[in-house]
Amino acid sequence: MNTTVPHTDILTIQLAIAAVLLPFVACLLNLFLVKGQSKVSGWLSTLAILGSFVLSALVFSKVWNQPALHVQQLWFTVGTIPVNVGIWLNNLSVLMLLLVTAVALPVHIYSIAYLKGDDKYTRYFAYLGFFCFAMLALVIVDSLVLLYAFWELVGFASYLLIGFWFIREKAVLANKKAFIMNRIGDVGLLIGILLIYSHYHTFDLITLFGDHNILSSIPADKTWLTFTGICLLMGAIAKSAQFPLHTWLPDAMEGPTSVSALIHAATMVAAGIFLLGRVYPLFTPDVLTIIAVVGCFTAFMAATIALTQNDLKRILAYSTISQLGFMMLAMGVGAYSSALLHLAAHAFFKCLLFLSAGVIIHEMQHLKEKHNLDIDPQDINNMGGLGKFMPVTFITCIIASLSLIGFPLTSGCLSKDGIMVQAFLWADGKGWIYTLIPVTAVITSLLTIFYISRLLFKVFLGKPRITQPVEAHDGSLLFKAPMVFLALCSLFPLFSSNPFEYEQSWIYKGFAIAVHIVGSLDYHTIVLLSVNVLAIPIVFLTYRAYVKQKVSFKTGLLFKISYNEWHIDWFYHRIIVKGVLYVGAIVLWLDKNIFDGIIHLFANIGVIIGKLTAWTDKYIIDGLLAVLTSIIKQAGNFVRGFQTGRVQNYLLTMLLIIVVIYVLKTFI
Amino acid sequence: MSMLTYLLLIGAGLFCIGLYIVLVKRNAIQVLIGIELILNAAILNLVAFGKYDKLYNGGQTFALFAIVLAGAASAVALAIILNVYKQYKTIDPNAVDQLKD
Repeated sequence: MNTTVPHTDILTIQLAIAAVLLPFVACLLNLFLVKGQSKVSGWLSTLAILGSFVLSALVFSKVWNQPALHVQQLWFTVGTIPVNVGIWLNNLSVLMLLLVTAVALPVHIYSIAYLKGDDKYTRYFAYLGFFCFAMLALVIVDSLVLLYAFWELVGFASYLLIGFWFIREKAVLANKKAFIMNRIGDVGLLIGILLIYSHYHTFDLITLFGDHNILSSIPADKTWLTFTGICLLMGAIAKSAQFPLHTWLPDAMEGPTSVSALIHAATMVAAGIFLLGRVYPLFTPDVLTIIAVVGCFTAFMAATIALTQNDLKRILAYSTISQLGFMMLAMGVGAYSSALLHLAAHAFFKCLLFLSAGVIIHEMQHLKEKHNLDIDPQDINNMGGLGKFMPVTFITCIIASLSLIGFPLTSGCLSKDGIMVQAFLWADGKGWIYTLIPVTAVITSLLTIFYISRLLFKVFLGKPRITQPVEAHDGSLLFKAPMVFLALCSLFPLFSSNPFEYEQSWIYKGFAIAVHIVGSLDYHTIVLLSVNVLAIPIVFLTYRAYVKQKVSFKTGLLFKISYNEWHIDWFYHRIIVKGVLYVGAIVLWLDKNIFDGIIHLFANIGVIIGKLTAWTDKYIIDGLLAVLTSIIKQAGNFVRGFQTGRVQNYLLTMLLIIVVIYVLKTFI
Repeated sequence: MSMLTYLLLIGAGLFCIGLYIVLVKRNAIQVLIGIELILNAAILNLVAFGKYDKLYNGGQTFALFAIVLAGAASAVALAIILNVYKQYKTIDPNAVDQLKD
């Protein structure tokens, strides 16, 4: 394959590699060369990501809707099977490449201002650069082994950045939680990769999932395929924070807000969707149904939780989970291209929402410090009326929110309506139980309208909740420019020339693999109308409730369930963590009492035998020797008695002996 | 009883007296005297049994040699006693019970 690649393609691939390596170079420089707190590090990283962005745009322009580019070379050989390593640039990779750099660039610029004065300024940019490197590498590699490696590295970068302010207890708990939750999914992913290898004997993504893949040529057992698909899905569920492994994402908001914007809203969490996109041909209809159900349920559940939360970033986190659920749903119902369209659209508007939240929290923190208030700067109950102080934030936030609810003329309209329409088409004629999924999706998007307008109204409209005079502003250009840029990206012209027909979107066309099915009803109009017409009363209701405060909601059982996040964390803590601890305690008890007991028994037997031996040695063997020596000693003493040195005694003895000899000779 | 028997009895008596003196006396010179008595008992026996060799008088001749040798031997013995006295300041044979210097 290497030899046949023309020169221009080689250049494109080199550009792609350079785009990936630039942030890494910035990371290394920041780690080892730039002095701590130096302002250089921010600009250095931003410059690197800008270079990356330009290169990605170049690569994108060359590869998009062209035949995929692929180079690889031998990495190592296992037995007789070679494991190759290489770069695979197709529509999906270059789209992600461009998207990640396009979102990372404004976040970097924003971070320069946002993290100003932090004592770990340099380290922050080093981590951010490392994350960008891992994420960009993740999207362009062509082997499942490398994919897994970079998958882990983005998880690690996320871990570092969630716990960036590691002196806060909560941040440490949150990054541990994120790491452990992701491990559960990663085990599934690893098992899935090994299962694929055991059947197809290759890690190569192109051989497996490319245009002429071997999935069709090598027959596989259907149950096996389903199982493998579920394993891979587990990885995606953990990374994209889907039920039941979603609880790490709200806690991950302990990291800096800019990190939440880049990693936990726009890019890393989308890696799960990206993974599903990469291995899409593997999924059997059963797995796809599971994906759709998981996505749909997560979207609905997260939206209901977002209704009642008071922490600004937590609402956005649950909103992210909900939107990721939509993407999963889209993957499940076969709306592959809509899923990726929504991924791209969501990346921009959710990143924007988080950046705005960052500005708001920043200002609230200032107010808190200025007036010595005892308030939580992230609690939306303490905000209100901020709109007139920070007009840029207000307007960009409105654009992002409109995009989130799928209002016409925004990117969200194109992507979200596409998902719902295709979900209806998918459920068409499959029975009422399948229709539940698109219906739930529509309800979820209505809930979305409620929670996002509640957030907007509580933060920006009405009267300030705090009694002291409010002074707030949009912040410097470094805050405003990225937000305006992202706001522009959240509008429809970036994605499609026609603001109502998602089929016209170039991203949709770039991935259109599914045959367009014509449903029995014109879902297109129904979805668009129902969502947007119902939006008006909902927005009016929230306006009356939260700005005019003429309507109040009862805090019943449903409120409690929502407010306590469906008690899922409680459940995990009570049942699973406690259960694991309980099992641990039992095992500890067994270990201490049974296994240690047996070992102690052996040890004691050994000691007793030793003592017996010692006693025998001391008293029997040594005793025998002592008796022997004492006999010899006695004999010696006895004989010594004769040796008096007295000549006359000797003579007498001699005489006696002679007499005795004579007597004996005579009588015997 | 014949003459020979008397002589043998006197010899035996002399021997016993000599032996007694050798074993009992605390003076080396008296011990020497005891030795001389034993020797004389032996010489008396030689002389007594000499009557059976009338042709060559072997007994008497041998007795003469024995008397001369006994004289020589007692001279040596007296010299030893003198040296012992110089060393130990005593001539009690029981007190002299060490061989080293």
